[in-house]
Amino acid sequence: MTATSLPGHGRATLAHDLPRSVRPDMRVPVRVYADDVLWEQIARDRSLEQLKNVATLPGVSGYVYGMPDVHEGYGFPVGGVAATRANDGVISPGGVGYDINCGVRLLVSDLTERAVRPRLEALVHEISRSVPSGTGRGGRLALNEAELNGVLANGCRNLVERGLAPIEDLETIEAGGTLRRADPGAVSVRAKTRGRDQLGTLGSGNHFIEIETVETVFDAAAAQTFGLGAGQVAVLIHTGSRGLGHQVCTDHVRLMDQVMARYGITLPDRELACAPFASPEGQRYFGAMCAAANFAFANRQMIAQRIRDIFGRFFGAHERLRLVYDVAHNMAKLEEIGGELLCVHRKGATRAFGPSHPETPNRYRGVGQPVFIPGSMGTSSYVLAGTDAALALSFGSTCHGAGRALSRHAAKRAKPGVEVRRELEALGIAVACPSSGELAEEAPFAYKDVDRVVDVVDRVGLARKVARLRPIGVVKG
Amino acid sequence: MLATPAHLRATTVMQPSSRQVEHTAEVCVHVRAPSLGELAAEAGRALARLELATPTPSPSGPSREIEVWATDRAALLVDWLNELIYLAETERWVAAEFDVLEASDTGVRMRARGVPVAEGPARVKAATFAGLEIRPIPGGLEAEIVLDV
Repeated sequence: MTATSLPGHGRATLAHDLPRSVRPDMRVPVRVYADDVLWEQIARDRSLEQLKNVATLPGVSGYVYGMPDVHEGYGFPVGGVAATRANDGVISPGGVGYDINCGVRLLVSDLTERAVRPRLEALVHEISRSVPSGTGRGGRLALNEAELNGVLANGCRNLVERGLAPIEDLETIEAGGTLRRADPGAVSVRAKTRGRDQLGTLGSGNHFIEIETVETVFDAAAAQTFGLGAGQVAVLIHTGSRGLGHQVCTDHVRLMDQVMARYGITLPDRELACAPFASPEGQRYFGAMCAAANFAFANRQMIAQRIRDIFGRFFGAHERLRLVYDVAHNMAKLEEIGGELLCVHRKGATRAFGPSHPETPNRYRGVGQPVFIPGSMGTSSYVLAGTDAALALSFGSTCHGAGRALSRHAAKRAKPGVEVRRELEALGIAVACPSSGELAEEAPFAYKDVDRVVDVVDRVGLARKVARLRPIGVVKG
Repeated sequence: MLATPAHLRATTVMQPSSRQVEHTAEVCVHVRAPSLGELAAEAGRALARLELATPTPSPSGPSREIEVWATDRAALLVDWLNELIYLAETERWVAAEFDVLEASDTGVRMRARGVPVAEGPARVKAATFAGLEIRPIPGGLEAEIVLDV
């Protein structure tokens, strides 16, 4: 391992390189962005081994990157970024994960905490009641075959066409909430069966809805462009493509596992199963993944609509929740970087395009694309802005959260859920979570220090700090 | 038939068992059983314990047969668990008790009894190949399976 001092950072060791020579099957080096404390945490689990495994993928380009929140996953680590050449490289479903287009959406109101606080408890429980959570639980919008195919093909645009979402939201969703390469025909009957009654549902695990207050503004001009001001109440939604996306990944990991030999591909981990991007199998997965991503965009949109309705009922119709942005952190995207067309796999990593990137929404040009970094229930979340420099540093990517430090098992052993709930409530955070066990698994102490993770991101230049949010209400799946 | 190596000979019949082992992000289940069929059955029981509330309700209602075929033993275990996850989510029925009717390196056929649930269980997205290896141990087999949660 070599520690690399980045230009402009003096002796600070924020880039840790694992050269190709550390393992003969690596095609490119690995770079992990972390300070010494995070690096020590990262080295404790299999993250580095998994990053090295990713570096063996055929057609992988430049570096494989680990973000400061990187931790052990399956196949790819969570917080891993790898770009493969579209012409002769592969696409790997494991580089996206089972929760395709898991992502974060931020809405902001003009309400203050003082206005919300008296009804906070009731608000949190109404959101919990109205947004179904657990895997497989039906939402209010059960879809027939044609309706489901419409969502898979056109994502949020389909909801706008059906009068279920406002058109002005589309500008501030990654890719306008619609990936045009989506192929509903490549989504299996099983995946459609799993997803048919899940549009508008939260899911379990680390998925959540949080009521936040904008606590600190670091960059007043950028915050103003994002529509954020100190003291405003905001809503953060974290979920993905639900059972539909899980099944798309399951189907294609198995398919690619079976065809790799035909393409002469051998890998150190079967969960990295892949096929050439340009192959029929690669194209079929890409079409299905884009369709599942559209489902996820639409899922977050439907949840946002329900929360808007609730805010309207609680605080008056004039108290509208404006969409700041919606961004994915589990996705493979075709992007032109450095003159090359690349399939950029971001698994637990957020796209962070800068002020001058053509895919940054018009209203955020000159500032950068908004990026949201949830902390953990009791700690801050961050709003960042993407940078132009990130393209060269990380294929335009940054972290996606604090990153787990403790296993779920260890977290549950360390503190019971009822105690976690009591501590959150003592901090003034209203909590709705059906399972004490799952609350314990997601306790703040199970995660790395989000302030430290974001500090590294900001210092390296992967994204820059705009505002810090403090949770006042948490709805867990 | 090849003789079992001395270090893998067991003096007593192994009881199937499972336990969770550390994994930073997901759930990793370590399973031991005297045969591949029993290993799959025990992995299914471990999955049911994750899917259902604690304490796990007793299976009720009629049994059903579940059959899965795959190319090799690891794929078989992954496909088997993914079939159970699919059934739990789409049929609101968590398979929790299993009798092995038939098992080979490429297929299992089980009689399963399950727990009907009002809402699909809220835990497991998929079974993965990550680090999955089915190893011989004295008196049986063991495997560690990473489940995406």
